[in-house]
Amino acid sequence: MEKKQEYLDQYMNRTHQLGRLASVLTLAMLLGAPFLIGAYLGAMPDLAAAARGFVSVGLVWTVSSVVEFLVYTPMLGAGGSYLAFITGNLINMKIPCAINARDMVKAKSGTRENEIISTLTIATSSLVTILVLAVGVALLTPLRPVLQSPRLAPAFANVVPALFGAMGYRYYRKNLRLAAVPLIVMSLLFIFAPGLTGSTSMMILPSGAIAIGLAWMDYRRHRKEGRA
Amino acid sequence: MNGESILERLSSGPVYAICGGVILFVAAVCVIFWVRAWKAGIAIGMDRTRMKRAVTASASFSILPSVGILLGVIALSGSLGVPWPWLRLSVIGALHYETQVAAVAAEAVGLPELSGSGMTAQAFATIALLMSVCIMWGMILSALFNRRYLNRLSGPGEKKPGQRKPGFGDAAMSAMFIGMVSAYLGSYLGEFVSGQGRFAFRGSWTPLAAAAVSAAAMAILTRLSAKKGMAWLDSFSIAASMLMGMFAAALIGK
Repeated sequence: MEKKQEYLDQYMNRTHQLGRLASVLTLAMLLGAPFLIGAYLGAMPDLAAAARGFVSVGLVWTVSSVVEFLVYTPMLGAGGSYLAFITGNLINMKIPCAINARDMVKAKSGTRENEIISTLTIATSSLVTILVLAVGVALLTPLRPVLQSPRLAPAFANVVPALFGAMGYRYYRKNLRLAAVPLIVMSLLFIFAPGLTGSTSMMILPSGAIAIGLAWMDYRRHRKEGRA
Repeated sequence: MNGESILERLSSGPVYAICGGVILFVAAVCVIFWVRAWKAGIAIGMDRTRMKRAVTASASFSILPSVGILLGVIALSGSLGVPWPWLRLSVIGALHYETQVAAVAAEAVGLPELSGSGMTAQAFATIALLMSVCIMWGMILSALFNRRYLNRLSGPGEKKPGQRKPGFGDAAMSAMFIGMVSAYLGSYLGEFVSGQGRFAFRGSWTPLAAAAVSAAAMAILTRLSAKKGMAWLDSFSIAASMLMGMFAAALIGK
């Protein structure tokens, strides 16, 4: 038992070391690539224009990134979150993917099983995306007319609704009372303030806060019933 | 330099090599994390079948959204060439983010719109830099605070994230996910009811229909997978349900 714990401690320490190193190296490459490509093209980035663009759009994404870090890190555990923040596509793929796998193998949040399963699922999902995109890019010429056909356009425009429909069923079924309140509140909010649809990712926070508040009340009630 | 020649250069061998190199590095990181997690799972006595199920489900789950992401590459390739959107959407990027930031960046560098015809070498380099800078904060926060944040959440008596006993945390994570799904489903309803004027009911109902069909398919598949000998179906239920939802959207056709 002690050996297992020692192994797990080492595994976690190494995960953090590797995660930090991989994040820093990826960051350096992503920031360096525009300069490298610029050097090849014979022009460097206009830093003043980049700063102007950052003020108009970057600040919003900075806030969004902080929210994503705070919300998703506990969901994914250490290894999973390092990988997810490196590989991106969190809301439309990595988070639902990890939650689905966790649910399927019944791993509880914060446990070592969840840490392992989360890392395996995010790594698998990222590799599948990398592979699909690599094959897609290699076959871009023959694939372009198929993927861009007007017949298929609505299907690909609705990947995320289809994803949330399926995931919604799985989660709502088990927590109907918990799900009803945030769903009603959010629906009313978007109906009365339709302009908010452009900021849906920011509305996850209040919606999640309502659901967590209700879950906390349920948790307290069950604990009291358990003690009685 | 006209638009065509810059697009040709943006899709040339050296640019592919730069972008492909970064993607290869990230793929290698994923493989390293995968192998370590698999070995750790075996070492702590996790069931191989459960781990295999998780991997199979994740792989099948990721194919359809990945094809959707490929469309993002195609959409951006007309103005930024193929390799850069390929890199952005393989690593760190997000489908909903890239187009928006690229369009704002184009405006900031003085292009009338994001298109290949007006693109210059400097405009491209600036747009590419801005696309990287705007979305890098999650990775920075993760590198700086991941360990501290997870240790803090695991409570004062239990400092090791892998050891923590499940308590409210598990319910909180499920609730947060319910909140996330609710926000999106609510936005689809809001778009349909008030998207074209408050209570006009003239907005697009395709996302709602796609979500409803996908949920119905999921209900059927969940029932089927609970039957004896059909448990394998569970690994593919999300992907199959999504396919049904997307098929419904294609039938509606808007």
